[in-house]
Amino acid sequence: MDTLQTIKSSVAHLSPAILLILSGSIVMAASLVLKSGNARDVHNQRNGVGSLSLVLLLVAGVLAYLRGAPTELGHGLFRFDSTAIAAERLAFLGGLIVLLMSWSTAPRAHLGEYYGCLLIIIGAIPIVGAANDLVSLFLGLELISIPTYVLLGIVKNDNSGAEATIKYFLLSAFASSFFLLGLSYLFGFIGSTNLEVIQHGYQLGGKLTSFALVLVMCGLAFRITAVPFHFYAPDVFEGTSLTMAGIMSYLPKVAGFVALIRIVGSGIGSSAVDIVIPVLFVCSAITMLVGNFFASAQNSLRRLLAYSSVAHTGYLLLAMTALLRDNAEANVLFSYLAAYAAMTLGFFACLGEIEAAGGKTMLVGDLSGMFYRRPAASVGMTVCLISMIGLPLTAGFWAKFLVFMGTIASGAKDPWSIAMAILMAFNAVIAAGYYWRVLSKLYEKSDAYVPLRVFRPSLFIAYTICVVLTVVWFFVPVVM
Amino acid sequence: MTILIPLLILLPLFVGLGIFIAGRKGQSVVGLAVGAAALVFVMSAMLVYQVAQTPSSRELVEGATIVPRIEFSPSWLEFDLPVSIAGHPVSWHLQFGADGIGALLVLLTGIVGLVTIVLAANQIATRIENYVGLILITQSMLMGVFLSMDLLSFYLFFEAVLLPLVLLINGWGDAKDALKVSRKFLLYTLVGSVPMVLGLIGIALHSATPTRPSSVSLPALSAIAAEKQMAAINNVGGAATDVVTTVASLASSDQWIVWLLLLGFGIKLAILPLHTWLPATYTTSHPNTTAFIASVVAKLGVFGIIRIVIPLTPLALATYAQWLFGALGALAIVYGALVALSQSDLRKVLAYSSLSHVGFITLGLMAMNSEGLSGATIQMFNHGIITCSMFLLLSLVEQRRGHINLNHKDVGLASVYPKIGVLMVFFTLAGAGLPGLNGFVGELLAMTGMLRYSGLFAGVAVLGTVLGAWYGLRILQRLLFGSDGTHHSKHIHDTADLAPAELLPLVAMACICLFIGLQPQSTVQLIESDISRIVLVSEASSKAVHPEVDQLAKVQP
Repeated sequence: MDTLQTIKSSVAHLSPAILLILSGSIVMAASLVLKSGNARDVHNQRNGVGSLSLVLLLVAGVLAYLRGAPTELGHGLFRFDSTAIAAERLAFLGGLIVLLMSWSTAPRAHLGEYYGCLLIIIGAIPIVGAANDLVSLFLGLELISIPTYVLLGIVKNDNSGAEATIKYFLLSAFASSFFLLGLSYLFGFIGSTNLEVIQHGYQLGGKLTSFALVLVMCGLAFRITAVPFHFYAPDVFEGTSLTMAGIMSYLPKVAGFVALIRIVGSGIGSSAVDIVIPVLFVCSAITMLVGNFFASAQNSLRRLLAYSSVAHTGYLLLAMTALLRDNAEANVLFSYLAAYAAMTLGFFACLGEIEAAGGKTMLVGDLSGMFYRRPAASVGMTVCLISMIGLPLTAGFWAKFLVFMGTIASGAKDPWSIAMAILMAFNAVIAAGYYWRVLSKLYEKSDAYVPLRVFRPSLFIAYTICVVLTVVWFFVPVVM
Repeated sequence: MTILIPLLILLPLFVGLGIFIAGRKGQSVVGLAVGAAALVFVMSAMLVYQVAQTPSSRELVEGATIVPRIEFSPSWLEFDLPVSIAGHPVSWHLQFGADGIGALLVLLTGIVGLVTIVLAANQIATRIENYVGLILITQSMLMGVFLSMDLLSFYLFFEAVLLPLVLLINGWGDAKDALKVSRKFLLYTLVGSVPMVLGLIGIALHSATPTRPSSVSLPALSAIAAEKQMAAINNVGGAATDVVTTVASLASSDQWIVWLLLLGFGIKLAILPLHTWLPATYTTSHPNTTAFIASVVAKLGVFGIIRIVIPLTPLALATYAQWLFGALGALAIVYGALVALSQSDLRKVLAYSSLSHVGFITLGLMAMNSEGLSGATIQMFNHGIITCSMFLLLSLVEQRRGHINLNHKDVGLASVYPKIGVLMVFFTLAGAGLPGLNGFVGELLAMTGMLRYSGLFAGVAVLGTVLGAWYGLRILQRLLFGSDGTHHSKHIHDTADLAPAELLPLVAMACICLFIGLQPQSTVQLIESDISRIVLVSEASSKAVHPEVDQLAKVQP
């Protein structure tokens, strides 16, 4: 195919992502210029940049909608299939909620940088989703990591914030180097950076391929907070702002899983599947066990949520094995991520509203009697928690149900997958224990509770969207 | 009149939600709830009448053991999931319908819901509007379980029952323990029901072949299960291997499914080592709530076994768990009775007696023959009526006298509350299995069924009935006739006997006990054809796996 034609249609298809990344850069640069002026009204500008970002996201969404069905693009840097589209939708959904959450929680001194970085992160996820080459994949992943360092640094300017930032920065650089080392081995062994060529190359087998795959998975395990690369999560969640914790729990996870699908996705051949599946099983089992047991032991709400995010990664890794075996479409994983976005970001938005109204949200005990102080946010949290437990009437039920289905479908050939599904079921029960602890705190009666009356429409809209999606997706799971 | 089926599920749901969310304190809300519950009761009676009037075959219908006599499965209940399994897109059709067994339990739910709501009006002191709303919501979920004809809606309703129940236990239980106990209840139930969904998915996925997409419809699945099992037992087309091998291989492919299902239903059933949530929940909840839980919610496990485990995985059940669950059931009868004998807290006595009675039901189920399954089904209904009445009486007594401890000297209630006394004697005798009352019918049938499977377990069960009479009479002796009533002045709150509004529901319950005791064939006829279809499959597999055990067959060749 004509190279120019390929580039043209690639640009056309990536236009939403390109728009977001470009405008993010412009916003960031413009804020530097504007900063020198005297007439900067912090409050007005916040809403200005915030609404500009929302409009940009909206335009990107419209562009994505108008783009039409994916066409054949050859085998160049990018490809557009259902995975690319799903990644884009997940990024825009999460981005919308995160932008709404940021409206009243963004740091006032660095608004331009904040929104610029956020737009770049949201735009980079579709790049990862569409990547068909090691180069574009790595480019997309770094476009997410680097703005994340900046964001972590500017949202909270105290000791714990600095600690979280430096911890994340060092470990992330470490993980990226693992990832690059793996990529270099893949390139060296197979002789191409094209992912389709590499996926065919897996079938040649060999120890070096397995080694390279394990290195790449280590690098990605950091992004998705899989054990043993999860250590930063509790500290970062505790040290940074609530909105940022919400971003950290969702956006890098989407990118990490999409990259995982790109590198070890379906169609890699049975010999490679035989290498990858046991690794994923072990990783998934350890991740969900560590996540759930450590979360059960937490009194700090932030750390509890961090470990719960780790546990969800374990379930998602199990969904990944189902996908590799072609028992289920990638939809299983994306449905889980969509449900996860709604329940986790919704929960963080509720917490954000409580914090914005003057309540404390550091410890589980801080939520005691919150229903009587802040009823709307508490009802929102209740729905999100029920979804996290995985009970019916919420999207979380289908998320777990579909993972179970995908995993059990290969039970006839591989009894281990049934064992893994049972393990996940028991883990879900352990998780129900600590979610219930939080849930019952909300309705605990105490003698003195002061109503929190400050109303933040942006946060209210954010968690209303999440709660409505959580409930609606239960009744029409096919659009999840 | 298939419209009855969606109405039975949706009417209590919407009225309950409306009352729960928008309700204000006052009798008008309770009146609305009573009206809705009465309507539900009338509809459930109409459903039973209609099911009884619909002719039903005793032979397999198109190979299926589960055949709804009234069906509600409009095309818009088609449910698509965003996955494809074995090359087919997953598109499941939700079905609702009633057969005799389901209809009987729908009637029980209707009766119990009405009675508990009527009595709640005087019993529940705080947030009555939320309480009756939650009872109605729970009732709707239970109707959903009993009327569902596919695995998916069965599980959805089965799981959804949890939420209103936890709120009921938590919100109106003893303030000290309620939170702990409701957490225990939630986690215990989830430990069973979350792995159980894997078993249900396994059944659905096993039904898929390259030419046939997966299905969750119970009639279709039961036909597939019956066909597979008969092929294994009759060793169709297999001269190379013997029957034992084919049976064993089919059973072992279903093994993990049956264990997961039995874990889930066993916990709901409070089978012996998994029973500890039951006494805790029953003693901590408000007795009015307990009346509802013990009579209907505890039946979910039994219903699940008779609806799903026995028809869909009969061979695996007979191979791996029939003996074990039979033994656990027999053990539960004796253990429950002995613990009930040694307790002095009346709530605990009743909780353990309930455990003991559920043992009879388990025993009947595990006989897997006609008598056993009929006995278990009838006993489900009977035990529901009796336990509900006993806990309601307890609730009424506690309202008047506070917490009841049988060791106290001042509990001679019969002279103060003669009406309560008479009713309590009546229901205790019904529970103990006095001939002429309903408890006798179910327990006798269940024991007869078990006798054909194992004389030992049946013998233990007979011992249990003796113990049952013992602790029953102990309650009567201590509680009603413990003293001449002269010492009561110290603890007395209220010397008024039952008001007409309290008396009427309980007398109606007593009439039901008497009616079933004297006319058991009316109930038997309702469920007969459904049971005999299931027995075609279950008894065949029980005999294929344990050819040596049919004791009566040996005596009369």
